[in-house]
Amino acid sequence: MGRRKVGALEKVEADLPNLQYKIRRDPSSYKTDFETQYGQYESQRELFMQAPSSATDTGIISFCDLIDFVTHLADCYPETTVDFPTQMVAILTTHHPDLESDLREKIVGSLVLLRKKGIIDSSKLLQTFFPILTTTPSKSLRTLLYQKILSNLRSSNSKNTNHPLNRATQTILYDLVVSDRTSPKGVWAVKITRELWKRQIWTDAKAVGIMKEACLADNVKVISGGVSFFLGGDKEREELEDESSDEDALDLGKMKHQMGINKKSKKKARAMENAVATVKKKERRKKQPHPLNFSAFHLLHDPQGFAETLFSKHLQNAHSRLNLEQKLLILQLVTRLVGLHKLTILPLYSYFIKYLTPRQPSVTSFLASLAQATHSLIPPEDLEPLIQKIANEFVSEAAAAEVASAGLNAIREICVRQPLAMNTTLLQDLVMYKKSKDKGVMMASKGLLSLYREVGADMLKKRDRGKDATMGLKSHEKTERRFGEEALGEIKGLELLEKWKEQEQHRKRLELGLTAEANADDAEIEEDDDGWEVDEDDTDDSGGWINVDSDNDINISDSDDDKRPSKRIKPESTSGVVRSTCEDDDKENEGKETTDLIHEVSTLASKTILTPADHAKLRELQLEASVNKLLPSSQRKRIAQQQAQLQRHADDPLTATEIEGLASLSKKASRADKIALAKDGKPERAAHRSTQAIRKEKKDSQGKSSTNKEKARKKNFLMTLGKAKGKQKKSLVERGRVLKAHVERGKRGGKRGNKGK
Amino acid sequence: MGSSAKKKKDKKKDFQKPKLKVGKPRPKPTNFTDTSFKAKTIALSRQSLTTVTPSANTQFTHHLSLLTSRSDNQRRESLSYLTSSIAPHQKDLPQPVAVLLPKLLPLTLDGSNGVRAQLVKLLQNLPPEDVRDHMEKISMYIRAGITHLATDIRDTALEILEWTLDIDGKELVSCPGGWIKTLKTILTVLAWNEDAKLWGWTSSRAIVGRSGSKSLPRTLGLLAALLRAGLVVRPSPDTLEAQLHRFPLWNVEYHMPPCQSNTYGYLNLFGSAKDQDSQGYENINDRRRIFRNLFEGRVARGVSAARREGGDVGRAAAAVAKALGEGLNDDGLRDE
Repeated sequence: MGRRKVGALEKVEADLPNLQYKIRRDPSSYKTDFETQYGQYESQRELFMQAPSSATDTGIISFCDLIDFVTHLADCYPETTVDFPTQMVAILTTHHPDLESDLREKIVGSLVLLRKKGIIDSSKLLQTFFPILTTTPSKSLRTLLYQKILSNLRSSNSKNTNHPLNRATQTILYDLVVSDRTSPKGVWAVKITRELWKRQIWTDAKAVGIMKEACLADNVKVISGGVSFFLGGDKEREELEDESSDEDALDLGKMKHQMGINKKSKKKARAMENAVATVKKKERRKKQPHPLNFSAFHLLHDPQGFAETLFSKHLQNAHSRLNLEQKLLILQLVTRLVGLHKLTILPLYSYFIKYLTPRQPSVTSFLASLAQATHSLIPPEDLEPLIQKIANEFVSEAAAAEVASAGLNAIREICVRQPLAMNTTLLQDLVMYKKSKDKGVMMASKGLLSLYREVGADMLKKRDRGKDATMGLKSHEKTERRFGEEALGEIKGLELLEKWKEQEQHRKRLELGLTAEANADDAEIEEDDDGWEVDEDDTDDSGGWINVDSDNDINISDSDDDKRPSKRIKPESTSGVVRSTCEDDDKENEGKETTDLIHEVSTLASKTILTPADHAKLRELQLEASVNKLLPSSQRKRIAQQQAQLQRHADDPLTATEIEGLASLSKKASRADKIALAKDGKPERAAHRSTQAIRKEKKDSQGKSSTNKEKARKKNFLMTLGKAKGKQKKSLVERGRVLKAHVERGKRGGKRGNKGK
Repeated sequence: MGSSAKKKKDKKKDFQKPKLKVGKPRPKPTNFTDTSFKAKTIALSRQSLTTVTPSANTQFTHHLSLLTSRSDNQRRESLSYLTSSIAPHQKDLPQPVAVLLPKLLPLTLDGSNGVRAQLVKLLQNLPPEDVRDHMEKISMYIRAGITHLATDIRDTALEILEWTLDIDGKELVSCPGGWIKTLKTILTVLAWNEDAKLWGWTSSRAIVGRSGSKSLPRTLGLLAALLRAGLVVRPSPDTLEAQLHRFPLWNVEYHMPPCQSNTYGYLNLFGSAKDQDSQGYENINDRRRIFRNLFEGRVARGVSAARREGGDVGRAAAAVAKALGEGLNDDGLRDE
């Protein structure tokens, strides 16, 4: 056979993508062609199966190409390609360790594509991928599969939550962790769960259950994965949410401007429409109520059992092979659980004793964990030896300043949570350190002092008590809370809100021309007009049930800051609140006020549902009350600090940095430290440049053009010459006209004028 | 101002003609390469210091390894070397066929025409007895080639199919997958695979990459040959007289140890489980049954349609019909 010239047409027709394109356009006419190529795929597969590991180079069209081809057209010929997905799955599952990496990736990709086309379902895909993910020795395949599994789960949950799939996947992952606790396979379950948790795709208790089991595994990697999920997973989720909310903000104004200038085309108009739609969608999403996502700790079943097993399995167990760092993480988790759910694990406190010496590595973390594990239901006698030990080991004149301040700080943190753990002599001893020369120690000691002025002033020496505490003690207002005693549930600052509402009511009355004194009768009359039944607010001093009518026991007030509710306009919505406040007015006699206050507050909270507007007002009032303008600035600052302390959320962990916090005050900062502190958080500045240059660069980076002034300055000299010459030759009349036009233009505001704006 | 002037100057420089001056050397062009250096030594990447030429055997092995070379020419050259070093039907090859074939067969799907042509030549030189044992592998490549997208590769595959049928058609049809799969492939190529419902007077035979109907009669001819090999009973070479000659020993060959390789292959003791398609059908009655069940209707329809076309195609179709008649009509055989 001689050398044959290959015609251009024939050459084109030998390419598979072209055929694919044609088939996609008209599947029925090209059926035979597809069948031929499917036959080709079949025979190539047969050849491949002879020696899967040593993939032979099969000429111009490879097995990969054929797989690609068939995958893309599988939806056009469903009968012909019935076996194709199962064949792909079979090749991948049986031969994945020795397949060529290209082919392997192609098969994975083809399965994903088949899933997208709806030929196989997600669960089938996941069932194929999971076993391979956990067994394959190839790192690249693992990353690929992990990525594909995640994207599959994300896409199938994108429109609405796919509960069956999620449940099935979670069961697979749970089994993966539970089936063999010593194997490192569980890491994949941990990774996937964590990622999906982060993206808020899985927010249910089952996902937390997987992590719980991971924490109780025997493999170090799995354990640390599970533990770090509990310690950091929620924070990660919040961060991602913040990130995603402010990313890729479309600049609509810029786009509109460009639309006005650039050539108009259908494509651009469509792009503009899309942009407007996305912006609107985003705004709508912003306005939607925030999805209520519980943190992992709150979704945990049986936290007591979990914390106990964690403690006994990993910490108490002498045979556990964890290193200190991992143990610390677990300790953090256990103590966090104890603090949050108020659990009782008594052996935990004796466990701490061994570690409370200044020489112990990362002792501040231990101290923080101890403080975290303390709550009001821990018996003080369990904590007392610990505090004693901290005081002995850390707080002494001989100890370094950092050590002493850390110790004092830790004691304070413990005592915040359980004030009864302190005894009088020790406290008085520790308070003496407020005279220390070192600033850190002094501050820490003062912190302890101010704490006990609040919670147990009688334990302090008289001269340390301070004015408020002494007065409180005398009037028996401040009494020490006893073990197990709980404060009455109340909404902080509710009395302020109530007072404010009263005042508003009063003012309105005056506006309406009624006298403030005669308000009670009027109110009743008005309410009768509105058709409201008046109930006698029987004030039960015992704090028992309050008899309220079923039809008006709960009213939703919609008071707003800007628009005050006027009773005439919206009687049915506001009258409930109004009535209750009126009744309060009724009783309000100057002498009785102090004793009745608490009770009245509770009636407001139980009678009305506070709206978000109410809450906002409440917060505002609280802030006003707290910043007492009469106080000197130093005291004001201290109060603000205390407020900040109080506002720390109960869910937030206590970390070593908070224990160490004051230690930084002990050492004198060097010049380099100060410079570093000043520079911290500020952007890098390459070289000193003029403000003009910086502004110019900023403008350039935003894609804005230069000003007219700048253009005039940069204009080529030769270009200006001609105009200048012409100017010289102008007659006087002409010159006058030009000048006049210039003035006129200035008045109009430029050549085009600014009438429209 | 400065920048624009500079740009202008730069632009001008590109189009300036270099001035030639008397008594001065010619200015060098921009793409001038300096070749004035002199090397003291020349380093060769590989040097062979043997004085003896490599033996024919070594060269054979070397060229065998070159069959996977990237360059078309190299592959073709190596093939032609191998062809020339094997005399037609030579018994003792430098390398056994079992080593040769795995290297040769992938070239069936090679992109270069010259390589494939050379390959066919080489294959025809191989001793048929040795090739017979590898029929399964060969049939796989034939099937892959027949359905290939490139027409030239299809033609080569048909040539190879022709060659195998010449060597031993019976072995081809009885090897695993050799009967059902091969027939299916050929029917797919002929577009005879369609359901009866869709079979109208027009067929969607606008197959891409088919240049004219040159290969159609050829395919039909091969189908005829295949059917003949699979369905027609060969008259045994021993005539009655010859048997009488060896009188007391009747049907000795059935009691002798088998002379073919892998005698119990049909039991499939060691391979993976096979489905109906990839099984081997050694018995002629099995093949007939399969053919009747799966293919007869389609082939008959196809043949009748092709016959109506007339010309080369019609003639070839007539040959197929004849083979069918011979194969499926037992009575006719007995008459012979």
